[in-house]
Amino acid sequence: MTVLSVRDLALTIGDTPILHDIDLEVKAGEILGIVGESGSGKSLTALSIMQLLPRASRWTGGIEVAGNDVGKMSEKALCSMRGRDVAMIFQEPMTALNPVHTIGHQIAETILIHGECSRRQAGERAAALMNRVGLDPERISPNRYPHELSGGQRQRVAIAMAIALRPKLLIADEPTTALDVTTQAQILDLLRSLVRQDRMGLVFITHDLAVISNLADRIAVMREGRVVEAGATDEVFREMRHPYTRALFSASAHVPDRSPVIKRQGEPVLAVRDVVREYPRPRRSLFQAANPFRAVDGVSLDIRYGENVGLVGESGCGKSTLARAILALDRLQQGEILINGQTFSEAGSGPDMKQRAGVQVVFQDPYASFNPRHPVRRLIAEPLYLIENAPEGAEREARIVRALEEVGLEASDADKYIHEFSGGQRQRIAIARALIIEPSLIVLDEAVSALDVSIRAQILDLLAGLSERLGISYLFISHDLSVVRSITDRVLVMREGRIVEEGPTEEVFLAPRHAYTKMLIAATPTLRERSA
Amino acid sequence: MILYFLRRLTALLLTMFAASIVVFLVTEIIPGDPASFMMGINADPQAVAALRTELGLDQPVATRYLAWLLGMLQGDFGQSYTYKVPVSELVGDRIMVSLPLTLYALALSTLIAFPAGVISAARRNTTADFAVIGATQLGVAIPNFWFAMLLVLAFAVNLHWFSAGGFPGWDAGFLEGMKALTLPAVALALPQASILARVMRSSLLDTLDEDFVRTARAKGLTRSQTLWRHALRNALIPVLTIVGLQFSFLLAGGIIIENVFYLPGLGRLVFQAITQRDLIVVRSVIILLVFAVVAVTFLVDMAYAAADPRLRRRPR
Repeated sequence: MTVLSVRDLALTIGDTPILHDIDLEVKAGEILGIVGESGSGKSLTALSIMQLLPRASRWTGGIEVAGNDVGKMSEKALCSMRGRDVAMIFQEPMTALNPVHTIGHQIAETILIHGECSRRQAGERAAALMNRVGLDPERISPNRYPHELSGGQRQRVAIAMAIALRPKLLIADEPTTALDVTTQAQILDLLRSLVRQDRMGLVFITHDLAVISNLADRIAVMREGRVVEAGATDEVFREMRHPYTRALFSASAHVPDRSPVIKRQGEPVLAVRDVVREYPRPRRSLFQAANPFRAVDGVSLDIRYGENVGLVGESGCGKSTLARAILALDRLQQGEILINGQTFSEAGSGPDMKQRAGVQVVFQDPYASFNPRHPVRRLIAEPLYLIENAPEGAEREARIVRALEEVGLEASDADKYIHEFSGGQRQRIAIARALIIEPSLIVLDEAVSALDVSIRAQILDLLAGLSERLGISYLFISHDLSVVRSITDRVLVMREGRIVEEGPTEEVFLAPRHAYTKMLIAATPTLRERSA
Repeated sequence: MILYFLRRLTALLLTMFAASIVVFLVTEIIPGDPASFMMGINADPQAVAALRTELGLDQPVATRYLAWLLGMLQGDFGQSYTYKVPVSELVGDRIMVSLPLTLYALALSTLIAFPAGVISAARRNTTADFAVIGATQLGVAIPNFWFAMLLVLAFAVNLHWFSAGGFPGWDAGFLEGMKALTLPAVALALPQASILARVMRSSLLDTLDEDFVRTARAKGLTRSQTLWRHALRNALIPVLTIVGLQFSFLLAGGIIIENVFYLPGLGRLVFQAITQRDLIVVRSVIILLVFAVVAVTFLVDMAYAAADPRLRRRPR
């Protein structure tokens, strides 16, 4: 039975055409993967099916959900269709639930709104649903609020809400993108088993080829509002008829060419010695302060000249806190941090500003990490104040141009503003800002995580080249194990504030010793098995 | 929740204590000796000195502060220098006008602002929305004393529905009292309602853009169900903040309106007391207003916690 059929769907918002000639079909019990980069129209295709399009949208073509033509339905009929025949799960579990209602209430609401049963029965059914999505109501009470749950638990609540009335079609828009790999693996298993048990149709939208290759029965590859290739998953991966599919595939599995020159002698570029970082916790009693939360618990590490070191671990393991400590943005409670053998920051005293020029940083979000009112020239020249006798006039200008050219931009870009650049270009500018004072070490905190795969591949190549040419070391922090594997020489695995495993990258990935590392690697979806 | 309550309460008491010191010291620094002011310019220095002793002005600062503080805790605010009556009596009379007026104005403001803000946000970019935007723009722009005079002209002078000013006292009956306060309350409420409606509108529009609203729509809720069940409560926090600020402002900020309508309110009392160097009255009224502000902030904090469970931080 066909639960979704989309024929010649075209969509315009205002005067901008967004989607063209989209054809999709999903049968009961089948998983359709829609894959594509940002802006390819994946999410708007989903919202067209739900009829939850933004204002000023106009669409043409045919959309049938469970045999009903949604184009002919009134808003009232659409409301009764949503949640009953077709349900949707969104990307961001942190914001997808209403913070002021309990989770039990929000699950029961789907049932109540469609007038299925009484309030009490709905509550009982909500508890049963929680059980079904792997939230034991004995342990996690339905009376809890969303902020008391982890990201993975919230996504389970969102799934429970969506499957409450056993819809014939479930649309999941990047449901695991914001989750850790181990949580992602659990959520994917859950979705897979729900589809099989209830014979639902599932449309799974993602940018991640590795995730979709292990999940979908059929795949549609989208680019610039069109489906460029569609077919059975194995077939698409085997044949890759469209050049874009091939490009997407090779970018996803991209490994930059590297021949690192690492100096093992002399002082390390970065030495972290028994560093402890604690956060105060909220008080539980009026008269007694709570024990502080130890986010980084006695971490030591060295990074050598020219060496790329990866730091992996799940969210909340202390990766970013450690990064902030290394950058001396926070005070240490114990231990010390040395740059090129000189003390940069130690417990009990603030950072030694003279050393700050030795370490720079690139953050995750290329949109939020620039002041929009400053031209690029000013943005990238900002770190120059850190060095004594900062260059002036022509020499300063020459350095700005050199930094821009190093990252593949042009001298004329210096006068533009940040909104004139794409995400990938912005990340290049962030790298230029870090390079301009020729630091020994750049901390890359999830620096490529927000980028599309093809852009990510370019940035990884750029980083690899810069490291070799300029002898810069990287501390590469990421939750994405495959990226870390492709660009680092050595990897550290962090869990609950401690380094649990450390070793040459390939050795750790091929033969992990710690149980936690084994679990992380097993949970990471890979393309390799499929293509082999 | 209990911990949150206790913490807020502690903050309230500490703020009151700190405020009492500041208020006391500031009224100490103000130039002008109450005793010489009361005796007139040509007073005999000995008589002034005697009066200073009688008023306790020759005592050390710390002693006088403690005496003032302990007195207040027992409900004794001291004697007014000029009126020669207990300050508590004086202030009590005025509060019986100012507090009902404030509550009346606040109720009107909220009753106007909530529906206006909700309609405006729910029907964004429609005629109704533009009407609310235009009306609130006007409401913010019009000076309230001028609006008050228009009200007097229309409803008192021409239509004779209300009296043009004065307050008959609550002895004349509740309805009579409320009637006398109606025009001033409307005049006070207009700009407040305009501000509040705008805050309500923008807060609600922000909330309607949130992910969880989209989730609710995906579950099958209609637009208006989504607004009432999911968006409204989330949009309330900034609105509550403004309501709290407006209460404090209205309690003493009504001085111009009190003058326009000849109301014996707190604003006029404090104005007269300042011009007559009646420092004991000034001090008491200010400390009372500080208390009102802090207490309302406390209530608003409690309302936050009621509206948003994330603030209740329950110990696990």
